[in-house]
Amino acid sequence: MTRQDKSQDVKEELSLEELFQSLEETIRRMEAEDVSLEDSFTLYHKGMDTLRMCSERIDEVEKKMLVLDEEGEMHEF
Amino acid sequence: MAQNVYTVRQVNAYIKNMFTQDFMLNRIYVKGEVSNCKYHTSGHIYFSLKDESGTIACVMFAGQRGGLSFRMSDGRQVVVLGSVNVYERSGSYQIYAREIRPDGDGILYERFQMLKKELEEMGMFAPEYKKPIPAYARRIGVVTAPTGAAIRDIMNIAARRNPFVQLILYPAQVQGEGAKESIIRGIRMLEETGVDVMIVGRGGGSIEDLWAFNEEDVARAIFDCRVPVISAVGHETDTTIADYTADLRAPTPSAAAELAVYDYRQTQMQMQEYQIRMNRLLMHKAEIARFRIRDYHTRFKYLHPRYRLQEQQQKLAEAEDMIRQLMAGSLEKERHRLSLYMEIMKGLSPIQRLNRGYSYVEGREGGVVKSIRHVRKGDIVSIYVTDGVIRASVKDVKEEKHDQTG
Repeated sequence: MTRQDKSQDVKEELSLEELFQSLEETIRRMEAEDVSLEDSFTLYHKGMDTLRMCSERIDEVEKKMLVLDEEGEMHEF
Repeated sequence: MAQNVYTVRQVNAYIKNMFTQDFMLNRIYVKGEVSNCKYHTSGHIYFSLKDESGTIACVMFAGQRGGLSFRMSDGRQVVVLGSVNVYERSGSYQIYAREIRPDGDGILYERFQMLKKELEEMGMFAPEYKKPIPAYARRIGVVTAPTGAAIRDIMNIAARRNPFVQLILYPAQVQGEGAKESIIRGIRMLEETGVDVMIVGRGGGSIEDLWAFNEEDVARAIFDCRVPVISAVGHETDTTIADYTADLRAPTPSAAAELAVYDYRQTQMQMQEYQIRMNRLLMHKAEIARFRIRDYHTRFKYLHPRYRLQEQQQKLAEAEDMIRQLMAGSLEKERHRLSLYMEIMKGLSPIQRLNRGYSYVEGREGGVVKSIRHVRKGDIVSIYVTDGVIRASVKDVKEEKHDQTG
C-alpha cells in the first residue's frame, strides 16, 4: 500500500463491516434488561451516528470503471 | 498347377475378416502428426498419421464428426481413437476414426498434476492461508482481458448489485505468449494501487487458452498477494492451479462479481432494520420509564397527607353513621318499651275506674279522701267523674265497717 492509501485508512478508521458489528453490539446492549433510560438514549444516539457513518461509507456516487495503465495511472474505461 | 487359386475379392475379404476379428484393432488409440488433411465436401475427413517411421491412412466419416472438437491441420499432433480395417478397393488398411483430440493435452495434464501436487505439498492451498473476502469491499480490482465476456459480466453484475463500488481493471493479456507476465503484473499493480479485493480470471476456453492460470508464477503471485484474491477462470468445470491458491474460487467471472460486490439494496434494508430495532428498543425503554413514573405517582398520591386526612374523614363519617344508627336503634327500642308501659298504665289508670261508676274525691287540702277522718261536716269536696267535677258539701259523716281484707 502507498503512503497515500495508509493516510486514507487512518481517516476512515472503520469499515462498513466493522460499523455493522458495532451496531449489533449497540443493539445487544440496548436489549439488556438492566440498562438505564439515560444509557438507552446514549446508545440510541451512538447507533444513529453509526448508521450515518454507514451511509457515508457506502458513498452513494455511481462509479465508472477505471482502467489502470502500465504507469499506474487510472483512466475511465 | 495343383494349388488353389483365389480371387482378389476372396483375399481381401479374408484379410478384412482377420482385422475385424482382432479385438485390439477394433478399438485402438493411435498418436501421430496429421498430414495430407482434407475436409471433403461430403463431410468426411481424409488424412494421414505419420511419425518418423512411417504413415497410416485415416478417415473420419461425417457421421463421426461429433468426436472432433477442433479444426485439424497438417503438422498437428493428435491422438486418434478408432478401428483399423481394410479398404478393399485399394487393398490397403486404414484407421476409421471415431474421436480425435489434440495430443499434448496429456502432457499439459501431467504438468498440471505435478505442479498441483508440488504446490499442495508446499502448503500453498492450505485453508489457514486463505484471507477472508471483505463483506463490503469499496474498491475492487479486476485482472482480466479488457475485451470479452468476463469483464462485461463483471461490470453488469457490479452495476446491478451496487453501482457505488469502484471497479479498477488491469487490462491483462490472459492467453498466449506473455499472458503469465501480464497477469502477474496486474496483480502486483492493483495490490500497489490499493484495492479491498481482487478478481483474477477470464472466460471459458480450451485447456491451452486457460494455461496461464496453471503457471506456477501466477499461482505464486496470487498466493503472495496481500489483498484477498477471488479466482474466476473459465467455466464451472475448469479448475486451475490459480483457483487452488486463490483465497476464494468462483466458478465463473459472474459468480466472482456476486461474491466481491455487496448488494446495495440488501445493505440498505439491513440498515433500516437496525434503525427500526433501535427505535423500538428506545420506545420500549421510554414506555417502561413512563410506567414507573405512573406507578410512583400513584404511590405518592396515597402517601400524601391530604389523602390521609380524607381517609380519616371518611372513617369519622362512617363512625358517625354507626353511632347514629345505634342511637336510632336503641331509641326505637325505648319507644317500644314506653308504648308497652303506656298500655299497662292505661289499664291501671283511675279514669278507667271512673268509667265503671267509681269517682275520685278530693278534700279541702287537695288530698284524696279515703277516710271519714279526712272530712268534716260542712267541707267542700270535689268529686271527679268521667266527664267532669262535682262540687259538693259534706252534710254528715258516719262511720261504717266494711268487710275488708288486706
